[in-house]
Amino acid sequence: MSSWQRVADEFDWWLFGAAAGLALVSGLAMASAASTVHAGLAMRHWGWTAAGMLLSIAVARLNYRTLSEYAGLIYGLSLAALVAVELAGAVRLGAARWLSIFGFSVQPSELAKLATVWLLARHLAGQGAVLPNSVVWASLAIAGVPAVLIFIQPDLGSATIFGAIWLGIVWVAGIRGRLLAGLAGAALAAAPLAWHLLKGYQRDRLLAFINPHADPLGAGYTIIQSTIAIGSGRLWGRGWFAGTQNQLSFLPERHSDFIFSVIGEEWGWLGCVAVIALFGLLLFRVLRLAMASAAPQGQLLAVGIFSWIAYQACVNMGMVMGLLPVVGVPLPLVSYGGSSMVVVWLALGLLQSVRRADREV
Amino acid sequence: MDRLARLRYLVVIAQLCLVARLVHLQLIGGAHYRALAEQNRLRLVPELPPRGLILDRNGRSIAGSQTVFRVAIVPQELEDLQAVLTYVGAVVQRPVESLRKEYAKEQSLAFLPATIVQRVPKDLAIRMEEERWRYPGLLVRPETVRAYPLNTGAAHLLGYLSQPTAEEVPLLKQYGVRPKQLVGRMGLERLLDHALQGRSGGVMVEINHRARQVRVLGRRASESGARVALTIDGQLSSLIQAAFGSQAGAAVVLDPETGAILAMTSSPSFPPEAFATAENTAIRRLLNDPQSPLMNRAAVAGYQPGSIMKLVTAAAALEQHVVTPATVINCPGSLTIGDRTIHCWNRDGHGPVALRDAITQSCNVYFMQLARRVRWDRLRAAQEQIGLAHRTGWPMEEHSGHLPRRRLSEGEVALMGIGQGEILVTPLQAAVLAGAFANGGWIVEPWIVQTVGGRTVPRRASRRRVGWSAATLDTVRTGMRAVVTDPAGTGRRALSSVVTVAGKTGTAQTNLEGQNHGWFVGYCPVDAPKGAFAIIAEYGGSGGDVPADIARTVCEYLALPGEDHVKLATGR
Repeated sequence: MSSWQRVADEFDWWLFGAAAGLALVSGLAMASAASTVHAGLAMRHWGWTAAGMLLSIAVARLNYRTLSEYAGLIYGLSLAALVAVELAGAVRLGAARWLSIFGFSVQPSELAKLATVWLLARHLAGQGAVLPNSVVWASLAIAGVPAVLIFIQPDLGSATIFGAIWLGIVWVAGIRGRLLAGLAGAALAAAPLAWHLLKGYQRDRLLAFINPHADPLGAGYTIIQSTIAIGSGRLWGRGWFAGTQNQLSFLPERHSDFIFSVIGEEWGWLGCVAVIALFGLLLFRVLRLAMASAAPQGQLLAVGIFSWIAYQACVNMGMVMGLLPVVGVPLPLVSYGGSSMVVVWLALGLLQSVRRADREV
Repeated sequence: MDRLARLRYLVVIAQLCLVARLVHLQLIGGAHYRALAEQNRLRLVPELPPRGLILDRNGRSIAGSQTVFRVAIVPQELEDLQAVLTYVGAVVQRPVESLRKEYAKEQSLAFLPATIVQRVPKDLAIRMEEERWRYPGLLVRPETVRAYPLNTGAAHLLGYLSQPTAEEVPLLKQYGVRPKQLVGRMGLERLLDHALQGRSGGVMVEINHRARQVRVLGRRASESGARVALTIDGQLSSLIQAAFGSQAGAAVVLDPETGAILAMTSSPSFPPEAFATAENTAIRRLLNDPQSPLMNRAAVAGYQPGSIMKLVTAAAALEQHVVTPATVINCPGSLTIGDRTIHCWNRDGHGPVALRDAITQSCNVYFMQLARRVRWDRLRAAQEQIGLAHRTGWPMEEHSGHLPRRRLSEGEVALMGIGQGEILVTPLQAAVLAGAFANGGWIVEPWIVQTVGGRTVPRRASRRRVGWSAATLDTVRTGMRAVVTDPAGTGRRALSSVVTVAGKTGTAQTNLEGQNHGWFVGYCPVDAPKGAFAIIAEYGGSGGDVPADIARTVCEYLALPGEDHVKLATGR
């Protein structure tokens, strides 16, 4: 039996299928959303999607445990990249988030997410049923350093993802309930301090979330236009390429953070529910994979990736529907963005590797 | 491991929250959000209909349209507002700040031109059009506006247009009137406003988030307002207006057979276009003018009739058989009733006079005696029979005139016989009165609109018999003819070599000592009257002067209208 054949047998086709389904929806929605943004945008998006898929399949063949030797190195590299962004990054939309490498614009924060998940999984694996406090503190530092570096870019949304990832992993790794409650209390107490650390526009967005009609042409504009777009789709949607909010550019950031609004407008309630169902399938498959995994490291890796994708998907969709404040978080596998697309596919590839490797144990 | 399993519930709960929100947004609130999305992208740009033309009896336009040039800015093409404003300001010689204010006021959607200068002369318009390429966003566009070829002639009949006020807009909206659309304010423009307006059209435009036009989705052409044909003669109106010059007064000329108004002028007049173009200083001057140029004196001003009332007194006396045409009454130059002495205008006295000469020379003593013999109740009945103190049926604003209802003293009755005292008559009533003598005893109802949109305007049965005998009328008419032809007649200046004129002068006392209004009422030609008229010149001295001159001009025009008249006038 060739190694390809083995990979195919062990492959989680449901997981791959859910991700590919999302990629398909994304590719179609992008054609419509990008048509009024930039002519070559949809093509580039398809290119990144294809690259991500291929990379994912390639990684699935490898043994994640061998790769895990390099988790610390990758983490270190991504931190270095984040610092480099801070020093020499390209400023777009008022934030320094991109680094130019070989002509490609790379967003190091995306790689940092995977690196953090990986290192946390390695660090917390095999610590026993109840985590010692010192291990918890170390894990907090692992997640905290990139979070702070990203927060000062500034990118509030991405920074909070590290919190979600950390929480998911330490929860499953066995953090004591009392410690977690204490940390939560400390976080709440620090919230007013955090308010002072926020940039003016970030505060505006939070206020606009509470009452978008206070400033309908300013901070509230995005969320108002987005809810109009989604609501106007009704059951069946207005049709592919026929969403007026999208096609007439009333919807800002429609190809990136607000791609779900385009799906809502053009494909209606049914399209939205299909996307949510695909995410549900994907996340359930990841959890199933985690539960089936005998090795703690693989399991925690899966839990970390689960937390990451689940949190990001929920926050993004909640944001565009007006359920959550507007923080710039892309919808995994769907929003435009090469770095995000490739890194998420990479993570899914690692999961395939986990599935295969840990079953063999 | 149970911690891991619990994460599944988290997924389910999150999904349920999202789906519930989607149900709320898309299924429950979908129609609302769909409407908001449509509001976002659709704009209806109204297209105002051309207002209906108003034509005179000869088919000449007396209220039409004219092309003017406006300077506008198209916001979506604008690159440098300051440069455009500076340039336009230099060309039209207006401060940049006032143009900027205008732009801020007019600016709406990015693709809709915002007018910053309402009207520029053609040469400046052409100059700006040629240099426009240097100033993106600048637009010089021709636009049709209401024009009144007669200018001040017939202005009171036609009325004027102006923009509706903020309070009126919601009321007018139900009739399809748009905020920028002009509405009729006076005269026929107001009376026939609805028909003249036409139906607004519009263009449905799809716009994007910057309010720029993306494409046109639909168009409904506007429907021009109805064409209106009047009974008046525009040339005659201009002629009378010119004849008045700076003299205040009014004139009404009507067809004695039908009551159709041939001309109705009021002086001083006003240019109706001033209101449509919102020339504020011009409007303020008109409103503050002590001579009230906006008032239509012909229909709404009541004047003492003076000696023109003698026609009615004469007819009443003949009908009551208190005199015959041969009855002679001596005029010693004054008449004393009780302790009051009233002079004849000729203080030396006319001596013994019969009816014809009394009319010709307008003897006060003769007619005061007649009034005493007729007595007040019967004199008043005769005055009412000829239409005084009643509306004529004129379709627009009019004054009903005035007659006293109380018992009058002997002296007051005598004065009433010569048209003095508590009596007011409008020029329109006086013209109807003249018409009754011209047409053999019919009171006509004056009217002016022949057709609206090609359809004849229905009229009520509009003639009423006065009920005086043919003999009575003939006797008075003989006197009226002699007023103009007799060497001693008071209306000699109305005598014409081309047309026969009959009439009666009048001089109405005013509350200013020595200042009188002059009347002339009459008709022409004598045998088959084409026109009956009443002319009054305020503080214009005797009716035999300016009013008689205007009467002759009117009659000569009626006898030889159009080109022939012009030849006649210039040939002299």
